[in-house]
Amino acid sequence: MTLFLLQLRNELWKLFAKKRTYIGFAMFLLAQNVIVLMFRFTHGPRVQMERVLEGNGYLAGQFISTLSVATFMLLPIAYMLLPLYASLVGGDLVAKEAEDGTLRMILSRPISRLRLLALKWLAGALFSFVLVMALGVFGLAFASLWFPWGGLFVFIPGEMFSVFDATAGAQHYAVAHLMMATKAMTIMGLAFMFSCFNVKPAAATILALSFVFVNFILMNIPYFRDLQHWFLTYHLNLWQLMFGQPIPWWRVWQSLSLLVAFNVTFLVIGLTAFHVRDIKS
Amino acid sequence: MIELTRVEKRFGRRLAVEDFTLHVSAGEIFGLLGHNGAGKSTAIGMMLGQVWPTAGEVRVCGHEVSRHRRQALRKVGAIFETPVFYDYLSGWRNLEILSHYTGPTPPQRIREVIDWVGLTGRERTKVKTYSHGMRARLAIAQALLPQPELLILDEPGDGLDPEGMHEIRQTIRRLHRELGLTILLSSHLLNEVEQLCTRICVMNQGRKVFEGSLADTKRAHQWVRLRANDFNRAAGLLQRERLIEATRDGELIALAPDVGTEAIVRRLVEEGIAVYEIARPEQTLETFYLELMKREGGAD
Repeated sequence: MTLFLLQLRNELWKLFAKKRTYIGFAMFLLAQNVIVLMFRFTHGPRVQMERVLEGNGYLAGQFISTLSVATFMLLPIAYMLLPLYASLVGGDLVAKEAEDGTLRMILSRPISRLRLLALKWLAGALFSFVLVMALGVFGLAFASLWFPWGGLFVFIPGEMFSVFDATAGAQHYAVAHLMMATKAMTIMGLAFMFSCFNVKPAAATILALSFVFVNFILMNIPYFRDLQHWFLTYHLNLWQLMFGQPIPWWRVWQSLSLLVAFNVTFLVIGLTAFHVRDIKS
Repeated sequence: MIELTRVEKRFGRRLAVEDFTLHVSAGEIFGLLGHNGAGKSTAIGMMLGQVWPTAGEVRVCGHEVSRHRRQALRKVGAIFETPVFYDYLSGWRNLEILSHYTGPTPPQRIREVIDWVGLTGRERTKVKTYSHGMRARLAIAQALLPQPELLILDEPGDGLDPEGMHEIRQTIRRLHRELGLTILLSSHLLNEVEQLCTRICVMNQGRKVFEGSLADTKRAHQWVRLRANDFNRAAGLLQRERLIEATRDGELIALAPDVGTEAIVRRLVEEGIAVYEIARPEQTLETFYLELMKREGGAD
């Protein structure tokens, strides 16, 4: 076990010491700041939010807050940037080492391929978790520079209208991020699976992104509306359910268990492909 | 130390290694020779459990590699043609990471190998600042970490300048002399192999075409240089009398079995042909290799 932890620490070193690991992260922070400034200094989204709140009998001043703006930032980040970044990291984990030639050096040592992949997947999963948590904290920090602390208001047209006091809102915000970590891990795992095949890192990333976006597009075609629960993206969005009043826990557990199944499947396919593959220079 | 028995490897329809049998004993410096694409790296890949053989058995340190890879590679170090590392990490961190894939390694051991390869003082700087020679030394250091009994070197001199090549040769000799390692050296640099190895195996198009000692390569040579006042007349006479089997390049003759150079000289002098020189030209590994490839008809 001690050796496994040492090896995991080494994988994390490799991951966190790379500059390219932080390039994407810098983009996240930039996007968060742009959204906050847009919310603060333009009228569009803020006025719309005020109108919806006041139209439903709430005082807009209490809910145009740090929490509401930080949550407002989540949608574009979760739909666009997070899949891109998670698949970039997952696609790199095995394929980049194969491309660089370090994989051949690792596999000249008596470590099993199963153990190596387990280490890499775990490092990717930890990275995904840390990334989402950091995004949540930075989102709050940037929003707090321009907006006061207060209640949380979440509005997704046709899907959700929720208001919470500050304490409950903070709890929902935290749990939503925990669930969003499962989304990041699953997309990372999908790219990781492709990365185990004999492909370039970019190909693994593109394949994973294509899979997610095709799922998303198909899921939103009215013809497939009744079949939505068959799509991966339907379950990836379970973080949104954490802002429900009340939270539909049966749906959450259903999606969580399916995501676990998806992850195990991705891992098994990746492992099989990696195991039968010849590692050559 | 290494035993390959009737090993075959196919990549799709292409046969990369065919009916390959090899035996490397403990304590040897064994050379695996062949042109690019001859199957050397595939054979090494199979020894290290990186490439799965289609047929046959590969045993390293007494263990079958496909089934008992961990035991087989426990005391094996390997170096590949271009030393690649995590450039953004220090030499020390690279060694730490790579050594832990074998087992827990105390810092003292890492310090020892750094000292041994002469990288002391540079171990904490990032590998991206290392010269090619320093990378080669770091590659040797990582291979030495598990205290190996067998070292597999896949074209370690590739891309090095003559100084770097010399340094690598000296290091290989030191590894053999001071640490008593068995070394398998794969290379297409004949000079390097000739200077280092005691036995060699030559591969061509996935097949073994020669296995033996360097002395064998010299013995296998049958050509004798003959300089006479009329080479064509001399050759014709000797061939008619079955004293030689073939001629080449207007100055070389291949003696028939059990025929010595003295018999040739005597017969030519009897016929009034002046003989200026008769000698076996010094056989190098290069001439042996080129002749072998010519015979096999497969050199690139």
